[in-house]
Amino acid sequence: MVNLNTVRPKNGRDYYIALGLEGSANKLGVGVLKHPLLPQHEDGDLSFNCHAEILANVRDTYITPPGEGFLPRDTARHHKNWCIRLIKQALKEASIVNPSLDIDVICFTKGPGMGAPLHSVAIAARTCSLLWEVPLIGVNHCVGHIEMGREITKAVNPVVLYVSGGNTQVIAYSEKRYRIFGETLDIAIGNCLDRFARTLRIPNAPSPGYNIEQLAKRCANKETLLELPYTVKGMDLSMSGILAYIDSLAKDLFRGNKKNKTLFDPKTGEQKVTVEDLCYSLQENLFAMLVEITERAMAHVNSNQVLIVGGVGCNVRLQEMMQMMCEDRANGQVHATDERFCIDNGVMIAQAGLLQYRMGDVVKDLKETVVTQKFRTDEVYVAWRE
Amino acid sequence: MSQDIVKKISSCLGPNIPIESVAQGAEAVVFSTTVHPYHPNAGTDKKYIVKYRPPKRYRHPSIDQALTKRRTLGESRLLSKLYLIEGLNVPKLIACDPYNGCIWLEFLGQELPNGNGFSNLKNFLWMYASKGYNPHDNVVKETLHAVGQQIGLLHWNDYCHGDLTSSNIVLGKVKDGWKAYLIDFGLSSTSNLVEDKGVDLYVLERAIMSTHSSYADDYNAWLLEGFSQVYQSQGSKGETKLKEVLNRFNEVRLRGRKRSMIG
Repeated sequence: MVNLNTVRPKNGRDYYIALGLEGSANKLGVGVLKHPLLPQHEDGDLSFNCHAEILANVRDTYITPPGEGFLPRDTARHHKNWCIRLIKQALKEASIVNPSLDIDVICFTKGPGMGAPLHSVAIAARTCSLLWEVPLIGVNHCVGHIEMGREITKAVNPVVLYVSGGNTQVIAYSEKRYRIFGETLDIAIGNCLDRFARTLRIPNAPSPGYNIEQLAKRCANKETLLELPYTVKGMDLSMSGILAYIDSLAKDLFRGNKKNKTLFDPKTGEQKVTVEDLCYSLQENLFAMLVEITERAMAHVNSNQVLIVGGVGCNVRLQEMMQMMCEDRANGQVHATDERFCIDNGVMIAQAGLLQYRMGDVVKDLKETVVTQKFRTDEVYVAWRE
Repeated sequence: MSQDIVKKISSCLGPNIPIESVAQGAEAVVFSTTVHPYHPNAGTDKKYIVKYRPPKRYRHPSIDQALTKRRTLGESRLLSKLYLIEGLNVPKLIACDPYNGCIWLEFLGQELPNGNGFSNLKNFLWMYASKGYNPHDNVVKETLHAVGQQIGLLHWNDYCHGDLTSSNIVLGKVKDGWKAYLIDFGLSSTSNLVEDKGVDLYVLERAIMSTHSSYADDYNAWLLEGFSQVYQSQGSKGETKLKEVLNRFNEVRLRGRKRSMIG
């Protein structure tokens, strides 16, 4: 049995408060989370239902001009500029007057992610920890997503599809680890969409993937689909070839290369395919691959619940397709969250960090707070689950 | 299983073919029937397997049709080639309808004695691990040798199964023992890469460890003995190839799935 109340809250209170700092990519997020101290958590596998209360969830995204991606150096500078302001704003929203008395633990993203942005946020976390004399916790970003998704949707033991700009994984829990059953062999799905958005030179605000989704919705001819490579390999998938191919199509389209028979009619020279068609075909193809590997994993581990997390998880079309797949399986259920929790945020780091803290896992020396760009989901020992 | 799928397959098989569901995987549904697809006088004492890939509502119809056709056809081609290899036991391909995603196969296996279920390797090993049986019985050892030989033969001919588990191996009773058949070639491919073969063996080892954990060490050792026999019987060339495969197998085992992610 798991006892989530091993470490008692500070100053004899009956609740825990955690501050979460996230900055592994171009989003800087600060969240304040409250867990009540409940007797049923003393024994039982209830980590999916902590009755968490979100006191603050603020985020600032570093947005680049159309056609450009975010570079580590510039992103780190953005995070350094905004970190203090966001922490102050979050504390104000959460009505925390004296952080050294009220906050139990400070959680920050240890990895995986881009080195420079991770580092700038870790420095802020260390500074706050020393300033307020509050313990620190380094959190795995992927585990943060999973734990937040479970807390919000109350999914007990789902197969997790984690889709974001840097990661594409199908994960299921088994014996104290979140095990990776399938993943991308090259680039992540969000990366694929972002880079295609760059080729199309569409705006990066609010996010490139969202703009592709809107373009795809406007596709006039949904019956015909451009044929793209379909690269599922067992429970893994590969997306770099699809990106290279659709990129070349988009470039030919902009250049008006009439020799390309898929885009232009060879006799009349009339344009057959629009940008909207390209977006629609890309989405349909990529998401079909994702749903297929998820279904394989579900059959493999005998589960009927799916939880979609990560930035791409906001995509309504992906949620719709997953829903259809689950309806065809016995008692299938889909759990998804909205953009507040799907997209990187500080609260999810606080949630996973607080669970770690309640199991007694804290940083004892600042040496342990070194961030790492490579940090596999299955490296984390999940003490808070059966 | 949803009634929908049964309706769909009935509509593409026609009205006169009774079907009974056997198993459901992620991609395909397996049925059994007593009617031969194009030999009406074959009699009803024989059983046949119909493997059906139902259309998936979630993906675009054009993706779905292309995939179903490609996969059904690929599996059928592979099966027909494998059937010609001497000594290799795979189900006989009877008919194939790539546009509807149906494959007809010969029915293999039977019921195990004393209500121990269908005679795949999983149930067989569970039966011998249960009360009243001896898990180290000579029959078990010989059967696992036979299974290992089948896998060895597959690899020696440069094919990889892709999804080796104890439920994808069917046993058929012969006079004084069990004959092993490999089934479900949905993820199979031709490959002469040592890596693919090593991964194939690793997948099987993991499957045995997770489903038959108490005696997994013995089982795996026996399987590997059978596997090695095939290569060793091919002389010195076989010996070198065997060494390559087994070395890579050990490498894969050490590596596990600890690939690091970049990007």
